[in-house]
Amino acid sequence: MSLLSVRGVTKRFGGVVANRDVSFEVTPGELVGVIGPNGAGKSTLFEIITGFYRPDSGEVHLDGTRLTGLTPDRVCRLGVARTFQKLRPFPGLSVLENVVVGALTRTPDVRHAREQAREILGRVGLGDKADAHARALSTGQRKRLELARALATRPRLLLLDEVTGGVDQGSIPGLVRLIRELHQGGLTVLVIEHNMRVITAVAQRILALYLGEVIADGPPEIVARDRRVVEAYLGQTYAQ
Amino acid sequence: MGRWAAAAGFFGLAALVPLGVRDAFLLDALILILLWGSTSAGWNIAGGYAGQISLGHAAFFGLGAYSAALLGTRWGVSPWIALLVGALLSTVAGLVIGYLSNRLRGPYFVLATIAFTQVLLIVASRWRGFTQGSEGIPVPFRPGFWTLGIAGKAAWVYLILGLAVLLYLVGQYLERSRWGYQLAAVREDEDAALSLGVPARRLKVLAIAASAALTAACGTLWAQYVGFVDPFYVFSVDLSVRFALASIIGGIGTALGPFLGSLLITTLETYLRARFGGAGAGLVGIYLIIYGCALVLVVRFVPQGLVGWLGERLRRRGVAEARS
Repeated sequence: MSLLSVRGVTKRFGGVVANRDVSFEVTPGELVGVIGPNGAGKSTLFEIITGFYRPDSGEVHLDGTRLTGLTPDRVCRLGVARTFQKLRPFPGLSVLENVVVGALTRTPDVRHAREQAREILGRVGLGDKADAHARALSTGQRKRLELARALATRPRLLLLDEVTGGVDQGSIPGLVRLIRELHQGGLTVLVIEHNMRVITAVAQRILALYLGEVIADGPPEIVARDRRVVEAYLGQTYAQ
Repeated sequence: MGRWAAAAGFFGLAALVPLGVRDAFLLDALILILLWGSTSAGWNIAGGYAGQISLGHAAFFGLGAYSAALLGTRWGVSPWIALLVGALLSTVAGLVIGYLSNRLRGPYFVLATIAFTQVLLIVASRWRGFTQGSEGIPVPFRPGFWTLGIAGKAAWVYLILGLAVLLYLVGQYLERSRWGYQLAAVREDEDAALSLGVPARRLKVLAIAASAALTAACGTLWAQYVGFVDPFYVFSVDLSVRFALASIIGGIGTALGPFLGSLLITTLETYLRARFGGAGAGLVGIYLIIYGCALVLVVRFVPQGLVGWLGERLRRRGVAEARS
């Protein structure tokens, strides 16, 4: 039984087809990487799964429940959390308060939510930043904050949009380790990533998109050598 | 706790004033400080906590005021019932405006609130048979608590003080409750809030409705206190701006801010009116100019408002003392 099932999703923006008949399944406990050059439709796919966009056709199901047509907050409460490619912390709130907002989705009790938020901040390595303003964090720390906030909603499926994008090289190993830990803790993760070294290191399976279509779906070592994937990234001349 | 101490000091001091002061002018000023502070605190629920800036809250205030006047004159209904009717009407109006402007982000909510006030102004000033039109309508005075016919200014101080404390506590609740966190999230970034499971749209509409209802309650009590409702006053943009201004100057999205803001601008206005109103009649509008200057100065130098500024100073002093 799959946890996430995307069936025949198509999304057009005017004449541009951002997703064309995209279908795939994610089983519980999997860590799936989504790759593709700019404009391949990766982020659009995430927006559709999380309810921010409505597909023109096709459906998304989580553990048998239809997500398509639900608002993003409902999707989250059903167990799908996400981070944004362009980070969006609540700038006027403290780091702890940012995470409390996520925790309050599962508990109405503020004190309880604050305790949970502290615990999660410790887990992502921001324990000593709890009282700082969100806008005072570095990019790497903000990525961790977004992750903490998403985790606080206790997701069954976590969607990460570009974990290492815009982060200095030194912070990447820590973030990779963190994602591994979360995955080993039993969380199902779908991650968009440009850094091939990172994605082949963490993902068990890779989904490659090109011009809105799935062109490859399989283990990292096979997808990385797939002729169409290499073509998509480097152009035809390099694909020999 | 600093914030409780500040509030206790502010409201406690207000409660002590009538014990020593008999001067009607000063008591009237105090009542208005508390009343405009309360109304601004009502505005603050939508404008401050939920980030739904309205420049039409006079509409709700006016609905409350007209409820008192019309129900009282035409059917002899108690102002307490009128208060509930006004609050109910405003809740419905708030729900409708909130719902309609919800799908559109940006300045649409502000525009919708301004337009709604104008519609009510036209109805109130033209529908002579019902509202007595632009002449305005007196609010009947029937002695007694149930009819809110209270002649003594000191009693009014305590009544409005009760209202103010109630509004302050609502603000405190919003700062600390689940609702408060979620509204803050919606205000800071609606999409991010949605992605964390916050039902943003529903919360915004509810905040606007609650804000409208409490503003209407203030309008009813104001009408009952002043004894006369003039459509061009209660449905004016001036009044809406005043509600917003007191919160912005005092500290938007804080429980005590609207009251501190009101203390400053109501005092200023009362003083300037008394000073320039009679003798130099040509200078009657000068308080509006000074309002404008005050707003510019606050936004430039203390954008977080008086509450944020005071909090910052106290914290710095605490740090300095701890070091020495």
